[in-house]
Amino acid sequence: MRKIPIKFTINGQQKEALVQSNELLINLLRDELYLTGTKYGCGIGECGACTVFVDDELVLACLTLAVTVDGKEITTIEGLAKGKELHPMQVSFLKNAAVQCGFCTPGMIMTAISLMKENPDPSEEEIREYMRGNICRCTGYTQIIKAIKEYAHNMKA
Amino acid sequence: MLEQKEHKFDILGRDYDIKNIGKVTGEEKYSCDINIPGQLHAVILRSPYAHAEIKEVDYTEAEKMGAICIGPQDVPDVIYNERIVSIPAKTYRDRTVFPKDKVRHVGEAIAACAAETEGKAFEALKKIKVIWGEKWEPLVTLDDAMSPDAPAIYDNVFLGEERVKISNNLACDRNIDVGDIEEGFKEADIIADETFDVQRVYHMQLETKSAVCQPEADGGITLWTTTQGIHNVRILLGQIFSIPLSRINVKRITLGGSFGSSIQMNSVTPICVALALKARKPVKLVTTREEDMYDHSSYPLKTRLKVGVKKDGTLTAAHCQVWLEIGGHNIQAYPYLGCVAGWFASLYRWKNLRYEGKAYYSNKGPACARRGYGSPQVNFPVENMIDILAEKLGMDPIEFRRKNYVGKGEEFWGQGPTVRSLIRSCGVEEMLDRGAELIEWDKKSELKNKNGKIKRGIGVARGFHTSGTGGPKAGEVIDYSGATVKINEDGSVDVITALMDHGGGTWEAGAKVAAEVLKVPFEKVSIDNGVDTRTTVFDVNTHATRGVYCGCGAIKYVAEKVKEMLLNYAATLFEDRPENLVLALNEELGQGIIYPIDLPEKYKTIAEIADHARINSVGTFVYTSTLRQKNCPPCFITYFTEVEVNTETGEISVPRVVMMGDSGTIINPELWKGQILGAYALGIGLGKLEDIPYNKESGKLNCNGLITDFKVPITTDMPHTDNITVEHAHTYEPTGPFGAKGIGEAALSAVASSFGNAVYDAVGIRFHKLPITPEVMLKALQDKNRIGGKNKDAH
Repeated sequence: MRKIPIKFTINGQQKEALVQSNELLINLLRDELYLTGTKYGCGIGECGACTVFVDDELVLACLTLAVTVDGKEITTIEGLAKGKELHPMQVSFLKNAAVQCGFCTPGMIMTAISLMKENPDPSEEEIREYMRGNICRCTGYTQIIKAIKEYAHNMKA
Repeated sequence: MLEQKEHKFDILGRDYDIKNIGKVTGEEKYSCDINIPGQLHAVILRSPYAHAEIKEVDYTEAEKMGAICIGPQDVPDVIYNERIVSIPAKTYRDRTVFPKDKVRHVGEAIAACAAETEGKAFEALKKIKVIWGEKWEPLVTLDDAMSPDAPAIYDNVFLGEERVKISNNLACDRNIDVGDIEEGFKEADIIADETFDVQRVYHMQLETKSAVCQPEADGGITLWTTTQGIHNVRILLGQIFSIPLSRINVKRITLGGSFGSSIQMNSVTPICVALALKARKPVKLVTTREEDMYDHSSYPLKTRLKVGVKKDGTLTAAHCQVWLEIGGHNIQAYPYLGCVAGWFASLYRWKNLRYEGKAYYSNKGPACARRGYGSPQVNFPVENMIDILAEKLGMDPIEFRRKNYVGKGEEFWGQGPTVRSLIRSCGVEEMLDRGAELIEWDKKSELKNKNGKIKRGIGVARGFHTSGTGGPKAGEVIDYSGATVKINEDGSVDVITALMDHGGGTWEAGAKVAAEVLKVPFEKVSIDNGVDTRTTVFDVNTHATRGVYCGCGAIKYVAEKVKEMLLNYAATLFEDRPENLVLALNEELGQGIIYPIDLPEKYKTIAEIADHARINSVGTFVYTSTLRQKNCPPCFITYFTEVEVNTETGEISVPRVVMMGDSGTIINPELWKGQILGAYALGIGLGKLEDIPYNKESGKLNCNGLITDFKVPITTDMPHTDNITVEHAHTYEPTGPFGAKGIGEAALSAVASSFGNAVYDAVGIRFHKLPITPEVMLKALQDKNRIGGKNKDAH
């Protein structure tokens, strides 16, 4: 199959890649760029573990063709911390014990950050509604919701 | 009365947020994240048939495409059981890496290909020709499997070294009698006899099973794989592939959730190894969600429970019959039947009991352990029965429980009839009292909205799990853990253990226990990955809620030996006796210190002492050993669930819940709560959402491997954070590390039971089968209206 050259920015760095027309973004990230923080949980958009930003828009990397990120800016979980300084949402997840096995965590954090951009002062119901596409099997969500609430509260203050 | 003594800790009971940093930055590595230069990617050919004879698997054409392929003809003839936690004499063996004669469920692996890319491997896979022989109709329900006309799934299997015949698909059974139930039932004033069904569910751990295997030049292998026990994986691979254990190195690596699904060596592991050995190249194998759903699930349990009770609420006899439908392989039905007996026997003082358990093969994915190991499945019948009897007696359900629970000083069947120990710490009374107060049990009737479309109710249920599987005598279950503890030259500490962390904080607890013994700041203790079967001593498996009690128990035991070595050497420096020295944590210095008693200003830090030992060529303070716990103390829980039933839509929501847990000393407070909160969501899934039926004609999953069709709880299924209360009982387990026992599996045991009892309280319908979906609820409400709205049963 013919490979297509694409250029994109990933976590602030410019990259080029040759991808097949049917190649998925999740495979480009995990298998070629070795950004394994983006997780495979289902491959068909059911679990949210592969959630990343493309041009500040939340996308599921398992449902996105790699060719479509040509000329775009991608942010994965690896791109959130500034050096050793964690993103405050990452800190809030740690402080609230919102992390157990950690496999859903990257997707959860990306989705939570997106929520905050769209709605900086959400009610608990709005948080639950926004996060409903991200499945967690360990935490029962409660501490995740608390982490997001605390983040919103701290941002307001 | 509260049992907790005054115990002050420097490190236990504090929350730290440093252990999980890799999980929020994406740097944590799971098996599926391992990549080795030059690796091949593997895919598996799986059976489309539920029960069919394999005549031939021909992959000549696939290999012409450059793929490395294996089929039944390439894998060893070794018949094994992928779970080796039980002793060999009590372990049934019925499988090979690929089936040699016939497949027994849809999705069973029959061949595999490895190629440079996953895409190329899939192309090659399409070229594999399978010639099928006779096909039989799938047996997908318990009734199908038990039918006298049912085709035989096995003719014979092995139990230990003995070949045993399988008749009528009966995989195994267990019968236990205590006392005389006939006499017991004669004494009873009231007898209730009810049947319950708890469904098969899929673990739906977020990480699917995967393996990466690197063949080594010496004929050995290095392996990264999803497992709850690296040593058992190594032992099994040694047996299957005839490789000395010294040449198999299984790396300990973070698990993306497990919930029991990796107690056994996962089916993909030996396939990956066989491919890597043939290819002589590293091979990576990551399964899809659909493959994973065919690979493992919980055991569904049908229970008939007959209980006798006197008018004053004293139990006189119980007869518990259970039936399991286990899928195409018998991974652990025998120990499971024993444990179900134990959970049943240890909930209440039945006085006389009879237990009869039977497990049947079926043509479904093999069932295995799932959080609770049968406890949620038998807790549902028992806790429903307790409410049924309380109502018949006109007794408050809490009072009835208080009168009959098995508590302190009484015998507890930890993991079935062969693992028995005496209960020494028990928070049951405290949890019943405090929970009732928090949920406002006495105002429960005020909740009732007799005429509106929303009906409310509150239900209580209690449960427990063992902390490990240790008993005074070694039973049918192997149970011990090992650890190495080493003081480094700067005073920091390495804890090297094969203990796994499923996400619940077991490693954090292990580091805290070592830090508490050695008085070293938590931040200076590493229990991190980078260890493997070569560097750790044996640990049976992180299962049975044994991580803290057994695994950390071993860490404490070993750390105390190291403390002794440290103090002995320090004594030579202080020119005093070791018992005249004080070891303490100095938070200002951020170090552990040692000083002569009453002379704290004369301290030396642990770092100074350890480095002194290095410079003077004295040696390292290090110790390695194993520990077998001789008890398996129950961690009790008591839950109060409030439900709202919408009688127009049939939907049930949970507006409020109070959860009480008894784990002795709490080592990780927030993560401990997390265990309870997470289990609650799993239990609500069991109560109203999850089910994984197979199609009778095709033998395939009805949900087609889709999570959204299997249905798991999402954010909107849980109560508002303000309406969830989690508290712990104030107990101290004298045999546990610093008074601690477990929580993980206990936390799930009574969720669905409290939910079911709450639903009964709300609508007056006793549901005997789970899940209670809106469709099930609406049908039951219609049936109830037809009989004039009286309380009724729904089967």
